[in-house]
Amino acid sequence: MATIEVGGKTYETDEEGYLVNLSDWDADVANHIATTENITMTDQHWEVINFLREYFEEYQIAPAVRVLTKAIGKKLGADKGTSEYLYALYPYGPGKQACKIAGLPKPTGCV
Amino acid sequence: MADVAAPPYRVIPIIPALKPGAMEGVKPFIAGDKINTAIGFPGELVADWHDKAIAKMGELLAKYRSLKVYMDACVHCGACADKCHYFIGTQDPKNMPVARQDLMRSVYRRYFTLPGKLFPKLVGARDLTREVLDEWYSYFHQCSECRRCSVFCPYGIDTAEVTMAAREILDAVGYGQKYSNEIIGKVHRIGNNLGLPGPALRDTLEGLEEDVKDATGIDVRFPIDVKGADVLLITPSADFFAEPHIDSLVGYAKVFHATGTSWTLSSMASEAGNFGMFIGNYEQLRSIALRIREVALELGVKRIVVGECGHAWRVAYSFWNTLTGVGDGAEAGDHFAQLLQKQLDHRYKQPTHICEFTWDAIERGLLRFDKSKNDRHIITFHDSCNVARGSRMGDFAGGQFEIPRNIIKAVANNFYEMSPETTREQTFCCGGGGGLLTDDLIDLRVKGALPRMEVLQQVVDEHGVNFMATICAICKAQFTKVLPIYGFDRRLVGGVHQLVSNAIILGDN
Amino acid sequence: MVMASTLFAMVFYLASLFLVVGLLYRIATYAGTPAPLKIPTTPAPTTQAGVVLRMAREVVFFESLFKANLWIWSMGWLFHASLALVLARHLRYFSEPIWGWVVLLQPFGKYAGLTMLAGLLGLWVRRLFVERIRYISTPSDHLMLVLLLAITLSGLTMTFVTHTDVVAVKNFFIGWLRLSSAPLPTDFVLYVHLLGVAVLMTIFPISKLLHAPGVFFSPSRNQTDNPREKRHIAAWASDLEK
Repeated sequence: MATIEVGGKTYETDEEGYLVNLSDWDADVANHIATTENITMTDQHWEVINFLREYFEEYQIAPAVRVLTKAIGKKLGADKGTSEYLYALYPYGPGKQACKIAGLPKPTGCV
Repeated sequence: MADVAAPPYRVIPIIPALKPGAMEGVKPFIAGDKINTAIGFPGELVADWHDKAIAKMGELLAKYRSLKVYMDACVHCGACADKCHYFIGTQDPKNMPVARQDLMRSVYRRYFTLPGKLFPKLVGARDLTREVLDEWYSYFHQCSECRRCSVFCPYGIDTAEVTMAAREILDAVGYGQKYSNEIIGKVHRIGNNLGLPGPALRDTLEGLEEDVKDATGIDVRFPIDVKGADVLLITPSADFFAEPHIDSLVGYAKVFHATGTSWTLSSMASEAGNFGMFIGNYEQLRSIALRIREVALELGVKRIVVGECGHAWRVAYSFWNTLTGVGDGAEAGDHFAQLLQKQLDHRYKQPTHICEFTWDAIERGLLRFDKSKNDRHIITFHDSCNVARGSRMGDFAGGQFEIPRNIIKAVANNFYEMSPETTREQTFCCGGGGGLLTDDLIDLRVKGALPRMEVLQQVVDEHGVNFMATICAICKAQFTKVLPIYGFDRRLVGGVHQLVSNAIILGDN
Repeated sequence: MVMASTLFAMVFYLASLFLVVGLLYRIATYAGTPAPLKIPTTPAPTTQAGVVLRMAREVVFFESLFKANLWIWSMGWLFHASLALVLARHLRYFSEPIWGWVVLLQPFGKYAGLTMLAGLLGLWVRRLFVERIRYISTPSDHLMLVLLLAITLSGLTMTFVTHTDVVAVKNFFIGWLRLSSAPLPTDFVLYVHLLGVAVLMTIFPISKLLHAPGVFFSPSRNQTDNPREKRHIAAWASDLEK
């Protein structure tokens, strides 16, 4: 099993670097994973991550891309409620890359 | 994620030179203990894997005539050799269909035929060693079971059958693939491949109702778990989750609305996909399909309609009647199938593809369209492999090609075909089918998309095509990821019912 | 000479036994193995009559191969069609009086030997010189062609060059059919020809030559495309429902 080391502590991940235990997640871990994805976390990035975490807490799954864009649009204005905005933040796809940084399991299936 | 580059287009699309070993050792993640045991496979490679694998092979040879005949009949003529998209994209000779089959055929000859037992070298027979097993794991996960090779084989040898058998043997010895097996676990545990629980599903559907209301002013419903509905819609879970998939879901709902159809989704059977086929395991194929039977009986529906999903439509069209009794023509004494078939309305084909449903409504004049709404799209159609070569629509051979095209032409003005040797039954796989749509195989997926991208480029250059319609969740997800790597916009791919959704006129006027 | 004749008679009895029993066993195995799922490669015929037509096009014209590659199709078809003619022509050595249609075929059958040779050479050239076909070839693939070439060349030699005593050959086989012995001419080329044929008959049921019966049992070609209209279920699969 793969691991990552953040602040002297070791966390278990799967082969692709997704955290195995959701409870291991904190801001430092998120920043660390973001670095491995070549992403520098800004406030805009955090808004997405925070929404993902909240949604997951309630529904035990990451939101559909459409749900995510709508929620971000409501929060930050319609111009930001687009998938272009999200792809600009997370070029490998908001579904997978943002989930990884948010410490959520990877969505599987035909996505 | 490693940077992946697209291979260059071939100047003249001739048969590529061989690059032996080009994809050697490329393989997806192996399923771990938890994932395997959850679906009844050994947790890890068992100690007596050799004997177990040979025994399993013997069992499959006795259960599947396809495998038995295909192991014997090949003459190494090479008709299939240049027909596989993974061979064209990777140039690895072991990705030639015949060579892929030979990975298993060589073992078959050694253990199950007289010449192979007596003169292994002469007939290319070999022992099942650990190296051979690893080679199986690698190259039988570089086949998307798309059946293109079987179109050209003079004996109809279908590499998909061989790949399925190989994966079944690998699973039997605890050497399965993470992506497929994890998903199969989820579909049993949660009801769909994504792992979307009921509340999340309902939240998403409510959101869609709001969106459609905002956009059209019409109350289009997305009902779920409704007892007594006429139509049960079974669609890939990606339709609830991913872009552009979700636009087709909106399209189905609008068609049901406009035709006044009473319909429902099901939270328990919220998945059309059936990865049991990808791993060649009959019991999994069957138990995943049985969820649909159970829900159909429970809700008392009269008709089962399947959404845009390629392999799901193959399973539904070709296998559901066998596996679950969703269909017609069961023997009078076949109580298992009769129980369901008595409930279904046989004025309609059971199951029905959503394209059959929509085309039928168009023919009967129940739907009206404003085709100009699609004028910004210059459209081509990518035939999905499992629909094209493993199923049918309508009541004539080849309906699976005509009906989706008819719908596109009914809802849009600009339509152009891609090169004929790459469409209909000769279509190329998107490069991500058959359980390979996973990030750990992205390099293979990009290379496997090469032949489709080449001909897409042609219609883009000649006609300015900017929309490639398709009716498969895997195709949509694969192209969304791969198109940008070839320099196209990721939104160039979309669903047929996305186009329907754009143009359909709702309301009374 | 008598010993050689007896020996060849014995060899042919054994080879025929092996061919017939082996083929029957294979066909019985194929027929007895269930096909649990409907897997015709679509678009496929929706009726039984359509399937018969599809199989006929495959067997007579090699329809799928035609779509795949014209080189292998033309050489393969030339070889098989010539072989059919040559085999039919050879019936004259097994019938007395010779059947009328066999007499009619005689001139065509004779020259079909030449086109058969051309087909075989074309196939072998492809196997030797096209990189990807060479890659997939096993030693037995080449040897099979060598064997067929040996039979063809020895046959052509007797037809067009050395002329063996065909009346004696015919007496031998008519006798062979009636389980009585007649002498075979002492002719090295004839021996090569007959031995080659005996080897071919023997390996037929255990080699890739099984593609001949196999094609009739291929589910992707011989199934009717009607899964929604009629429930198709194998015995072992139906047991899961109990």
